Amino acid sequence: MSDEEVLLQSPLLYRLLRDRSGALIIEVVVGGIAMSAVRVRLDANETAAYAREGRAFAERLAQAIQADPPFGGRAVDVP
Amino acid sequence: MKKIVALFWVLVASGCVTTPSAPPTTPAPEPLIARCDATQAQLSREADQRASPYTIEKHIAEKFPGRQVSWLMKDSAYQTFVVQTNAKNFGRCNDTGCYLFAAPASVIQKAVQDSMKDGTHDPAVLGKALGLPAKNFEGTLRMMTLDLDASGVCVRLPVDSDPGVWKCTSAEDTDCFKFGGFTSGGVPEVMVINAPVAQARVEEIR
Repeated sequence: MSDEEVLLQSPLLYRLLRDRSGALIIEVVVGGIAMSAVRVRLDANETAAYAREGRAFAERLAQAIQADPPFGGRAVDVP
Repeated sequence: MKKIVALFWVLVASGCVTTPSAPPTTPAPEPLIARCDATQAQLSREADQRASPYTIEKHIAEKFPGRQVSWLMKDSAYQTFVVQTNAKNFGRCNDTGCYLFAAPASVIQKAVQDSMKDGTHDPAVLGKALGLPAKNFEGTLRMMTLDLDASGVCVRLPVDSDPGVWKCTSAEDTDCFKFGGFTSGGVPEVMVINAPVAQARVEEIR
């Protein structure tokens, strides 16, 4: 049984998760002819923005990560 | 002799004898742009103009033998975003369609084959062949292949506004998007719209 709750699963190839500690994590498929996924843990500002805007914010965040997969060194590869 | 010739033509006219006819020819595939909806057709026209004199038709004819495309996906991502969601199409989907980058099947399949050793692929060898970082190929992969004509999908040159585009910021970047139909690593690529999961061949690469 997963200890993560899936809050959002989008056809844009990302999903938003809440882990056991309550932290929000976004998992995004990145790449072109070879696709893989990365995870980014939302910081306090991003968590607040999601609380305010919901899916619209998650969508923007996913697109920002797809456009820059290292995401300032915050992205972690999903094995 | 005249009677024999006359008899021959009587037999031809009656259908008892047939004259040799030209061998059947395979009809030329319809223009790729004809498979696209209005939105994608407009994007394709703009991309062709920007790439002129190169076009998607030339790109497919010259770089995609057999008119087949392939792409790779880490198995974990494939399971999470294709299998578990029961996806109908591959790629990143929004209101206008599902957008998928793909390369010539021959290029991907050769790269995978050449990277195999003792039944498993070598991520470093595969990454070098495709001009991408080795980490993109670690672990079990899925290799998908789609026949462009059998599936009848819309295909065009990729553009900067396509979902998933990572714009290059320096000449050293090797995992980002450059307009023109080639990856930054030099592999031919196209944008496939609404690639149906049901029509793709999926192979596991260990």
